[in-house]
Amino acid sequence: MTTLDAGLPRRPFPVGPRLRLLLAFAAAAAACYWYLGLSWRELLPATGAGTHFRDFFAGAVRPAVDYEASWVPEGAPPFLATVAKAMWETLSLAAASMSLALVAALPLSFLTSESAWGRMTRGAASANSSRNAARVTSRMARAVRPVFRVGIAAMRSTHELLWAVVLLAIFGDHDFLAVLAIAIPYAGTLAKVFSEMIDEAPGDSADALRQAGARPLAVFLFGRLPRAAPDMTAYSFYRFECAVRSSAVMGFFGFPTIGYYLSLSYENLHYREVWTWLYALVALVLVFEAWSARMRRRWVAR
Amino acid sequence: MSRRDEVRRLRRSAPKSRFLRASGVVLGALLVAAWVDTDRWPFALFGGRRAENLRRFVDRELVPYPLRDTEWGFADLWEWAAQLFTQRGAEATVSTLAISGLAILLAAGTAWLLAPFASRNVATRRPAETDGADDAAAWRVVRGVTFGAFVAFRALPEYVLAFLLVALLGPGHAWPAVLALAVHNAGILGRLSAETVENIEPAPLQALRDSGARRRDLVVAAVWPLALGRWLSYFFYRFETCVRESSALGMLGIASLGYWIRDAQSKHYYDEVFFFVGLSALIVIAADLVSSRARRSIRE
Repeated sequence: MTTLDAGLPRRPFPVGPRLRLLLAFAAAAAACYWYLGLSWRELLPATGAGTHFRDFFAGAVRPAVDYEASWVPEGAPPFLATVAKAMWETLSLAAASMSLALVAALPLSFLTSESAWGRMTRGAASANSSRNAARVTSRMARAVRPVFRVGIAAMRSTHELLWAVVLLAIFGDHDFLAVLAIAIPYAGTLAKVFSEMIDEAPGDSADALRQAGARPLAVFLFGRLPRAAPDMTAYSFYRFECAVRSSAVMGFFGFPTIGYYLSLSYENLHYREVWTWLYALVALVLVFEAWSARMRRRWVAR
Repeated sequence: MSRRDEVRRLRRSAPKSRFLRASGVVLGALLVAAWVDTDRWPFALFGGRRAENLRRFVDRELVPYPLRDTEWGFADLWEWAAQLFTQRGAEATVSTLAISGLAILLAAGTAWLLAPFASRNVATRRPAETDGADDAAAWRVVRGVTFGAFVAFRALPEYVLAFLLVALLGPGHAWPAVLALAVHNAGILGRLSAETVENIEPAPLQALRDSGARRRDLVVAAVWPLALGRWLSYFFYRFETCVRESSALGMLGIASLGYWIRDAQSKHYYDEVFFFVGLSALIVIAADLVSSRARRSIRE
């Protein structure tokens, strides 16, 4: 035991790389806090706002089941029917955007994945006759891949709400713009993750097909893509969940999803209605999450 | 047996799930219903007056303000951009980064502290037991509550949380954005961290436990250090989305890039809208590059 001790320098308080990292993180947090000019006191309700606070949180235990307004226009649907309709709008906007995003993301992910180009050419290069073709493909890959990679980076680096601002500014008011605003960044994210999944999928079936003499396109479509498909499906479900949240938020821009009614109720100080909307949104998200989690488990385990 | 029969036999013997099939049908119906009988089809978008508006928009309103109706070169364009950046863009950029940095650090810290309480190999009667045979009800409650908190944190989108917090805490400071991002990401990172802790190799934990370490020592000496790499990778992955989100949250009146986007939009200065949207895209791409570089160096 003594020989072991002798070789090691004795430190009263060991500061290793891990602790240094944590200290750096704490320093970064302090710097951000200082730059933003924050103070703990701002987290307490301002004087006079106490009743406002109380009213708001009192709504949590008894959310509205009927309109809170004293006057409701003739022929307005019952409140809960409005809630159900808004939930459906939220879900269907998410579904519409996801369908568009998936349609765009699949070809984009093939074009940006390495294996659709690189491995294909390597396979083709082994055959003497197609060496020329391989050279052409690899040159094309070098030109095309970066272009599409920059394209999908630009698509996903802008937030869906900022896409909504831009699209509404260009085209004016239209329901399709909400679909497009969500679909563009989601297509970018899906394409990036899909292309990584295709590249990281096990290559055994692709190798087997290639050695059996399959053509590069067949190697990709039947050897590589099916091995990545379960992960891609699971990830799509996860993004669908995110799309439900994004579609609810689109309501803040005037589209008829939950966010629209939420902000309206808040502006009218109808706090109990606000809580109904919050519970409706949480219920929608949680039900979808539970469903997709169960599907993912079944799907990946299969 | 012919080859086709063989394929048929294999297909028949593949496991099937009625739940998955039903889900597939429901999902398909949902996708169809989202497009049937709605105003979502974009055909009206390019016809009639809209086309005219679009042309005017591209020809005129998109052109930076000082350059309209004049012969201009790239030097003028550069001057316009530089002025916007120094007057408003630079400060808003740093604020956006500071909001996301503080938020993600708070989120990661919370997730880091809470993760052991949600994992089956630590929050149990005898930690790191691979059989998992005896489990106390009290520990199941602890895990359930922690996990439930993670789910609740991330159920509401950041924008809705920030909207409520702006109204409750008042405008004029960045707390609503910081807290909204921190809460939502604490939920996401918490779940991922708990999964990471559950996937730790049991051997080091068992060795420590059998040499008499208490649960607290176990967490400090083995669980946290062993989970650090994975946790950092998740940290950087969420940092990028935080930057994206915090520039959008500015539209609620918080001093990030979104504030100036909303401001320019309300004045119909679309050249400035596009400038600030482009700027936010650039810092997100920069954050993306930094995080992916960091994640790669963590993996190696």
